[in-house]
Order: sequence, then structure tokens, then C-alpha cells
Amino acid sequence: MSANAASAGVGDTRRWRFYTLAPALTIYLLLALLPIANLLVMSVHDIRWVEGAAQWTYAGLRHFAELPRDPLFRAGLFNTTLFAALAVTAEMVIGFFLALLVSRIVAGRVVYRTIFLLPILIPGIVIGAIWKLMYNPDFGIINQVLGAVGLNGHDWLGDGTLALASVIVVDIWHWTPFVFLLLLAGLESLPQDVYEAAKMDGASAWSELRYLTFPMMLPTLAVTLVFRLIVSFKVFDEVYLLTGGGPGTATEVVSFTIYRRFFTEDRMGYGSAISVVALFLLTLVIVLCLASSRRRARAA
Amino acid sequence: MHAHPGFTAPPLRRALAALVPAAALAAALLCGAVRAQTPTQVPAQIPKVAPITIVINQSPWFSGFSKVVEAYEKETGNKVTLDVNPFAGSAEKQRNSVRAKDGQFDILVMNSAWLAEFYHGGFLTPLNDIDAAFKPDPQVLNYDDTAYWDPKTKSNNAKTGVAYGVPINGNIQVLYYRADLYQNAGLQVPRTWDELVVNAAKLHNPPTVYGMAQRGARSASDISYDWMPYLHSHNGAIFRDEKAGDFTVTINSPEAKKALDVYLELAKKSGPPNPGSYGQAQVIQALVTGKAAHATPVIAAWPQMDDPTKSAVVGKINIAVLPHGASGKTTPTLGHFIGAIPKNIPKERQVAALAFLRWFQTYDAQLKYAQAGQPPIRKDVYDAPFMKTPEYRWTRAVVDSSPNARMMYTVPEGPQIVSVLELRLNQAMIGEKTSADALNTMAAEIHSLMRGAGYKTERLPDLK
Repeated sequence: MSANAASAGVGDTRRWRFYTLAPALTIYLLLALLPIANLLVMSVHDIRWVEGAAQWTYAGLRHFAELPRDPLFRAGLFNTTLFAALAVTAEMVIGFFLALLVSRIVAGRVVYRTIFLLPILIPGIVIGAIWKLMYNPDFGIINQVLGAVGLNGHDWLGDGTLALASVIVVDIWHWTPFVFLLLLAGLESLPQDVYEAAKMDGASAWSELRYLTFPMMLPTLAVTLVFRLIVSFKVFDEVYLLTGGGPGTATEVVSFTIYRRFFTEDRMGYGSAISVVALFLLTLVIVLCLASSRRRARAA
Repeated sequence: MHAHPGFTAPPLRRALAALVPAAALAAALLCGAVRAQTPTQVPAQIPKVAPITIVINQSPWFSGFSKVVEAYEKETGNKVTLDVNPFAGSAEKQRNSVRAKDGQFDILVMNSAWLAEFYHGGFLTPLNDIDAAFKPDPQVLNYDDTAYWDPKTKSNNAKTGVAYGVPINGNIQVLYYRADLYQNAGLQVPRTWDELVVNAAKLHNPPTVYGMAQRGARSASDISYDWMPYLHSHNGAIFRDEKAGDFTVTINSPEAKKALDVYLELAKKSGPPNPGSYGQAQVIQALVTGKAAHATPVIAAWPQMDDPTKSAVVGKINIAVLPHGASGKTTPTLGHFIGAIPKNIPKERQVAALAFLRWFQTYDAQLKYAQAGQPPIRKDVYDAPFMKTPEYRWTRAVVDSSPNARMMYTVPEGPQIVSVLELRLNQAMIGEKTSADALNTMAAEIHSLMRGAGYKTERLPDLK
């Protein structure tokens, strides 16, 4: 085969790949990128309705300049960061610990796995109702249990110093099973011959965990962490159902601020600007996480 | 006129309850007699029209409305579909429908919270454009002119504007109080907020009973709605004269400070330990579980009070007009609903929608509405004999309060203003801000947003 014929063959393959990929790419562009482009356009406009018709007025970067002065956005950004950091850290630690335990159990593993997965199967609206009742200062089970052992109850959702922590506890309860499930799948797929070799070399359980399990699990841990960070940055339903962002701004989160500004106040331009900033920050966090995990994986 | 605090004795209640069917029968007979005398009470002749869809929210009063709709279908043979949603979901669906090229819904049941947006946005049809002969019934309560709109002055004005809708539910705030506790303590129903502060403190016995339950939470509209009657009845207001187009921000006036101080005093002296997280649901729950001696929710919450499956205090709660401040006038806030017809639906559906609204404002329809436990929108229905029975002991306060009921805002920027009020009032309620600081912050933020929206506006100097 001549060089020209080989080159033509490569060109045909590339063209073939492009043509077969084009429909999926077009659908992706329509479904994913166009709404984001629309969001960007809306974020630099004021949109008002006059005589039943929308009037778009160019606002430049005014909405973005307004953000630092917005008390809800400021509080939302701070609380969301705190929420994501605390909730995801706790979920990763507890989820990894549970996955390790279950991976070493031989009998009844299916039963344990089913029990640990239960919270993730419950719809968010039901979780909100369950925990709102449990946290109720007058008749909630948490205060009743505290009372039974001689401790004072608290207003878990109404006290500004406790409200965010109370919502974080619900998130940990809700999402740890998800972390557990992914990490258990990762642990079960690790090569067993490495462990057998380590045992023959006299490695302790801690050494196995420190030098084998943890480095080999890094890619799974990184993917799980990114998944959880994405979802926790978008937290909405738990806050909406439990506290409505209050008391004061104690549990305000960015998604809730977007909802208020965009829908309740009908400020589509300004709401879009907050969404654009939230999207940018989340993308930045994910890129940094993935880059850091790649560096560690390479080093390991 | 205030309701009677003494109506608590069970034997008397049973005896009176036995009289209700007889009274209802007498009422029905009387209605027939009265109808013959008053032209506005003649039942509307409703033609066979196209099917319609009404978009509405799931509220405590919805069951009463759906019963009336069933009666309409039975009486006229016309078909009505109800698209029922949560409160916020209904607003969102209505917004999407009127902004589309072709509207999905034929009657929008709009809450006072989004009336301004729909009027200013130009989404609705004047009812006389559909039928030049249509006349709003003079017996229908006015609700601060909110069924009328003047497109020139961009204001709700029955004199200069034209009818765009018919009130669907006359939801306003009233004072709920524990009549049995009043009787035991020998108290009189309060006429002023200061008297309420005294009474609430006397009945405050935590954690068994809290003297006062307020909607102190921050939401789309909780604490701001709850506080508004205090503000208005102390001669305070968000703007100097909104109806006349004077948007000088006056929320930080000395009158407003007095109104907020009274509100906070009630919470501090007689409220539950967590007033900043009490929303409407918690207030109603406190009333029906017997944990609140007073509260000021809307009248739509009433049916739960005497429902033995929901209430531990059946027959023990009475209703009175809201107390007042320096103005000497009770000023509840409108949380009512107007039924209106959008522009972007075909003419035949507009005609069908108007047929329903025309029927809905008739005496007979409103009688059925009242019998379903809901506040009728007609004045004359409140005079029906069965409305004088103990079961309907809420009616006097509603009919006495309705003429003074006021809108919270009439500008399309209202939801943004409420967002400011909700946050700053809630911060005052939970002790994060003093009353003066909260009011000054509100004034600065409302002034800024109104100026940004193009209004000519000033603001008062900061309170010390």
C-alpha cells in the first residue's frame, strides 16, 4: 500500500468518525450549550413585560457589579461553600469507612448494603418532611430523646447558630449511601493478588490501607468527590423544605438565591447573572479537584 | 363589631349546632324571598359555552371553590377543568401561560402577590371587551379596587379604571383568640395593639400556651405580610402615597418604628421561643393544638379551627377584627384572589370564561360558597340568616374588616420589596438587628431598587 493510499485511508476514517459523531454532537450542542448561551445573553439584559410583550434592555455588566452588594448572594456563597466542604468531607469519610467495613464482611453483605442504601431511595420531599418532624422543638423525636436522658432540647432549625449544621446532618444522612455505593464498587474491583503479596511480606492492616487501598482507590475517590461536590453546590430541596434559607440568612444557599431572584422576584437578568457566576465557580472547583487528583495519582 | 368571647359551653354548642340545619333551611327560604326583591340577586342565565380551564392554587379554601365549580357544571352543563398547583407553582404556570403566544388557561386565579405584575405587564383583558353588557355586581366587595385597572394611570382604581376581574376569595387577616381563656381570665377583646400586648402577656403560660403566635419567618411572604397591618394602622407605609404616585420611601418613619416595636414586643413577651422560624403553617398548628392564645392568620384558615379531625380546640376559638394603632382603624392586608381572563386565548374561550365569572358573582353561587365554609365575596350573603349561627361566627369580623383591607403593594417591583422586608424584619425578630437599624436598612435598599427601576424617589433621614 502506498503512502498516499494510507493517508487517504486515515482521512476517510476521520471523516467517517466526524459524520457519525455529528448527530450526537448537534443534539448535545442544542441541549447543553444553547441554554448556557441563552443564560449568558440574559445575564447582560434587563427583561420587562409591557403590553404583553418582552422588552430586553442591554444592561452590560451591571448585574455582575451588583452581586457583591447583594446580602443574599454573599450569604449564599459563604453558606454553600461551608455546606459543601463540611457535608462532602463527612460523607466521604463515613462512606469510605462503611465501604471498607462491608467489603470485609462475607456473610450478610447484601443485607448491610440494602440497609445502608435506604436513605438514598427516599424522595427529597419525604426526607424534608421526616426531618422537619424529627427536628420539631415541641414534639420532635430528637428533643424527646434528649429529654428522656435529662438533656435540654433545642430549636434545631429556628436557632441561627444550629440551623446550617442541622441541614448538613440531613444531607450527610441522605447522601452518604451514594458515596458508600460508589466506593464499595471501587473496593470490590481492586486486584486481590496485590493484597496477597503484601500479606506474604508481613504488611499490617494499616499499611495495606495506607500504601495499597488508598492509592489504588484515588481515581474512584476523586470521581465520587467531584460528583458530590457538584450536587452539594446545587443544594436546594433540603434548604427549601427545612428552613427556607432562614432564620436571617443562616441557611441561605446560592441555588435558593437564584430561585428567589429569578422566579419569586421575576428578575430574569439578575437571576441569570447569579447562575453564570455559580456555574463558573463550580466549574473552577471541579477542574481544580480533577487536576489535583491526577497529580496525586501520577505521584502514587 | 367583635365576636363573643363567651361561646364555649359544650351543651350550648350542641344545642346551637342542632339549630344549624333549621337555620340553613330558613336561610334558603329567605334567600328565595330576598331574590325576588333585589335585581342583583337574580340568577344569571348562563348559555352553553366552550369548556374552560381554571388555574388555581391548593389553598385551605380550595375545597370550597371546587364545590362551587361542581355546582356550576351541574347547573349549566358547561365543563370546567381545574389545574391545581402549589401556591408558587400556580404563579409560575400563570406567568408562563400569559407570556406564551397562545395561553393555556382561561381563568387565572391570581393572588394579590402577583396582581401588580399581571396588570402592569398588560396580560389581561378588560371584561367589557369580551361582553360590553357585563357589569360587576354592586354587591361584590371592593377589596381596595383590585378588580379594576386604569391602564393610563397604571393603578387600581374603580372610578377611572375598568373591570378586569371578579374577586374569587376574600382572604384577609383577622384576630383569632381563645374565647375559653378569655372567659376564664375575664378579658375583653382587644381593640388596640397595646391592649393585645397586655392580654397576650396575661395568657402567656409557656410551654403550655403562648400568648401570641406570629408569622416571624422569612419566606416569599411571611413576616412582612404579618406585620403590614401593624404598619398601616399606625399610619405608616412603605411609600408616602403609592396610589398618587409618590414613591418617597417612608418605611423608616417614627410611625413604622412604633409598629415594629409593638410587633417585636409581642414576640418577646408572649411569643414562642423561636418566633423567627414560625411560618403560616406553624401559626395555624399552634392554634389548632391549643398552644396559641392569639394569632392573626388569614380567614381561609378558619375551617380547620372547628374541624374535630384537625383541632384540639373545637368551639374554643373566636374571631375579631384586627386591633389597630394610632390611626384608630383596623387595616388587614389583602391576601385575596382575583379571577381574570388573559388576552392570549381565543374569543370563544374568553366568552366561556366570562360566563363562569358572571355566574360566580351571583347570590346563589356565593351562598353555596359560604355554605362550603368560605368567605363570600358578596356583602348581602353575610346577611343570610345561617351566617348568624355559631358555626359562622367568623363572618362579622370579615365583613367589618373587608372595606379597610389594603394591598401590600401595587407596583410590579413588589416581590423585590417584599424580599427586602422579609430579610430585615426577620433579622429584627431574631435579634440580629434593632428595629431602627432594620427599618433604615430596608429604606436604603427599597430606595435603591426603586431608583434603579426608574422611579422618582426620595427617602426619609435615618432613624436614630
